[in-house]
Amino acid sequence: MGKQVDLLQGTLEILILKAISLGPLHGYGMLLRIQQISGQRLEIPQGSFYIALYRIEHKGWIKGEWGESENSRRAKFYRLTPAGTRQLKSEMEKWSQMTEVVNTVLCATPEQI
Amino acid sequence: MIFFAQLRSHFRSWWNALVHRKRIDQDVEAELQFHIDAHIQQLIDIGIPPQEAARRTRIEFGRVDVQKEKYRAAIGLQPLHEIGGDIRYGLRSLYKKPVVSVVAVLSLALGIGATTAIFSLIYSALFHPFPYAGADRIVNPALVNEAHPQVPTWFALTPSQFDSLSKAKSIESIVGFMLAGLTATGDDLAEDVRVAYVTSNASSFFGVPVKIGRSIQPFDVATGTPPSNVVVLDYKFWQRKYNRDPRVIGQVLQLNHENYVIIGVMPQRFAFTETVGNADVYIPWTAARIDHLFPWVKLKPGVSLATANAELQSFLNQFKRETPKHFPASFHVSVQPIIEPYVHRTGRTLALLFASVIVLLLIGCANCSILLFAYGESRQHELAIRSAIGASRFRIVRQLLIESLAISCAGAAIGVGASFWLAEVPLRLMPNAFPQEAAITINLPILVFSIGLALIAGLLSGLSPALRLSRPNVSQVIQSTARAAGAGTSKRNLNILIGLQIVLTFLLFGSAGAAIAGFVKITSTELGYEPHHLMAIGVPLKRDSAKNQRVRAAYIDQLRERVAAVPSVLSVAVAPESLPPAPPFNGTGTFEILGGQSQQEQRAMIFLVSPEYFATLKIPLLNGRVWDQAENQRGDFVAVVNQTLAHRYWPNGDAIGHQIRADSLKDDGAPLSAASPQSGEWRQIVGVVADSRNNGLEKPTAPALFVPYTTFMWDNTQLFIRTAGLPLASLKAIRTALHSVDPEQRTMTEIDDLEEVLQRQPVWTQQRLFSILFSFFAFIALVLASVGLASTVTFAIARRTNELGIRMALGAQRSHIVWIVVRATLGTVASGVAVGLLLNLSLEKVIQHWSPGSVSAPWTLVWVTLLLLICATLACLLPARQAANVDPIKTLRCD
Repeated sequence: MGKQVDLLQGTLEILILKAISLGPLHGYGMLLRIQQISGQRLEIPQGSFYIALYRIEHKGWIKGEWGESENSRRAKFYRLTPAGTRQLKSEMEKWSQMTEVVNTVLCATPEQI
Repeated sequence: MIFFAQLRSHFRSWWNALVHRKRIDQDVEAELQFHIDAHIQQLIDIGIPPQEAARRTRIEFGRVDVQKEKYRAAIGLQPLHEIGGDIRYGLRSLYKKPVVSVVAVLSLALGIGATTAIFSLIYSALFHPFPYAGADRIVNPALVNEAHPQVPTWFALTPSQFDSLSKAKSIESIVGFMLAGLTATGDDLAEDVRVAYVTSNASSFFGVPVKIGRSIQPFDVATGTPPSNVVVLDYKFWQRKYNRDPRVIGQVLQLNHENYVIIGVMPQRFAFTETVGNADVYIPWTAARIDHLFPWVKLKPGVSLATANAELQSFLNQFKRETPKHFPASFHVSVQPIIEPYVHRTGRTLALLFASVIVLLLIGCANCSILLFAYGESRQHELAIRSAIGASRFRIVRQLLIESLAISCAGAAIGVGASFWLAEVPLRLMPNAFPQEAAITINLPILVFSIGLALIAGLLSGLSPALRLSRPNVSQVIQSTARAAGAGTSKRNLNILIGLQIVLTFLLFGSAGAAIAGFVKITSTELGYEPHHLMAIGVPLKRDSAKNQRVRAAYIDQLRERVAAVPSVLSVAVAPESLPPAPPFNGTGTFEILGGQSQQEQRAMIFLVSPEYFATLKIPLLNGRVWDQAENQRGDFVAVVNQTLAHRYWPNGDAIGHQIRADSLKDDGAPLSAASPQSGEWRQIVGVVADSRNNGLEKPTAPALFVPYTTFMWDNTQLFIRTAGLPLASLKAIRTALHSVDPEQRTMTEIDDLEEVLQRQPVWTQQRLFSILFSFFAFIALVLASVGLASTVTFAIARRTNELGIRMALGAQRSHIVWIVVRATLGTVASGVAVGLLLNLSLEKVIQHWSPGSVSAPWTLVWVTLLLLICATLACLLPARQAANVDPIKTLRCD
């Protein structure tokens, strides 16, 4: 696995946490919701999606429980744990700081220096 | 907090993944299946035909069961899972080659077993031999007499001194004891019972609970009430006299006509008075019972020996002013941890044994390596395929190491089982050398040690083959059907291993040879006396406060005469101090020669004997005469010297007639001794006797001075009795004869057969132990090395089958084929033997230092060289001959 995927993984984790923070979802539902919110602009590799999901669950940020899906099939629904809520908050703060800094650097004009 | 919460969740998911593995697998599968089905449905919904939708989804996701692996990787359990697979695979491949695996396991089992055995011996005999609470802080306060600094001595304290010593700042607690011999009365036969009087805090000091009943308690000797007559039995005495009957509690034991109630029995592992003699019973100490005490001290935690020495020195200087006779003229305190005498006695022996088993373990590891190399050669194809389909080098090394670890763990399991049997061997063969309380047990440190040993052995034997075999030349191996590829490095490694085995085996044989030569030297030593059919019986005498020398001498002489009248007894002598070949109990003393001008201190062993001593021990008289009965009764004015003393001071052979006197024979006024009137005055040398061993078996005979036993007598004596038949057969008649003098006259329980005394000498038992163990280890090493050699040749043949077939088809003689196969190996053997020989010669000094009784014996090395060469040749030739007998047609066809 190269570095790009690592970066994506990190991002993927926030996206998953954010998607569930709006309400419990099963894996496929998360995928759809993220794509839907992003206006279909974000292509999520299906293979690494579940790896990210399992890792977050392993860390105890989300918890999965078996339930019934819209079309009455058994599906695993995930919801945020308190630790996950805290994590999402801090990750979001980090993310906005990061984008702000990167933006400042990218938008710099010769006059500013 | 967050960290711990996360850790907990990690453990929960690991636990689930490991324990509820099946359920988790099903869950992962179901979840993914749901995802796939939903995705297909979505594609169908946007108008894609169902078959095409399913196909696309499959391409996008891959196989469902791959997802399980992804799950394990995500939660960090992937390596564990892979190792599990490696172990299963490894066990299967070991199972496929049962002979190789069994030989490899046994090679390591022998090494690990022997090493664990010696380690557990060292652990239980030197590290944790005592069952007492805080045993490592218990010290024996000893004195070093500046006049005789070699041997530290003990000192006795009066009750008030004992009390004031217990207030020393470096001391946590102090226990006092004193041994005495009493007579069990009330039974038909008077029996000697060794009593240890112990202070009433002994139970809390030692912290060893009684086996049955209760221990001695402070209220047994509470002030204001008369001390209660209670007694606690030693385990061995309970076994001997009461046949381990638990109903003994509450019964009465009569000692010197006084009744004692039995209140308890000590467990088997309790013998704290061992260094001064074993006790049969323990009685609470009171000043009225016996007026002195030996102290044992438990230091406070963290107090160094130097601090304790300094503090006790000031106490003892004060005590010396009070009781000058109890202390030497000038001395310093040297507290000794109670393990010290044993470390002194066996430390080196155990170190050398440990080194030798490590050598054995190395040989076992080399053997295992050889087998893994050889077996690995035949697996090159398999490993090359694994590597070709993407196994990393790390995975292959891990796989091979896991196999060698499986072998070493199996070896360790067998070895540890056998080690408990093996560790008992030195304890049996060298009983006096280890603390009686030492017990070989299975315990945590020993298990940890053996597990560590298994891991090290596994890595040691597996690493080099694994590194070598994990680099297969894929294209070459897969293309060629022959197995000749890549043999070069393996062959070199194999030769190094075989050479190493031969060198180490040689080293063990060299040590075994030196040990046996040393033992032969000891057993064939010229003793100068005849131990056959000779025994020594200790005879305690009644305390008589009058200290009348004449009465005591007459009584002893009467005992001697009665025993001499027993029909099977040939001759009897009195010698309270002697037990050849050991020095006399009181060691050496200084003497002066009348008219001598020596500035140096002159020392000799001083023996107190009756005139029959020389005839009874068959020590020949060289010159002059032995004193007669009248002179013996008087005790003064006569002496006999041995040849060494006579030669040293009168080289011209004119010793007889000179005057000599010894300081230590002067009356010391001690409560128990009785001396003749002029014991320390000038004596004429009336005779010279031949040398007989008097300073142990390994040291030369020391100068010796013999004087009549009536010169100086204590409250016990000893009879030397030469009998016609086996000495112990006459024992009953001898005891009856003693009782005829005084019905209450007892004898010491232990009777010394002089031949057995010889075999009890530390150097004797030590050298016997070394000879047996080294020979045993060397033999095992030889077997292992032979197996290693034979397997190398066997696998070399297997690798070259094709080539050999071609050679035979072209007309090579069988003898030539054999020669080709064994040539290289025999070359290695020869160089191994040469290096081993050199190493042995250069390590001779080292071995002698660690095993002082061993003797350098170059001629043994000749035999060892021959033996090794013969065994090596046989080990090579047997498989090679088989190679030569194979049908060439078959070999050529064989791939």
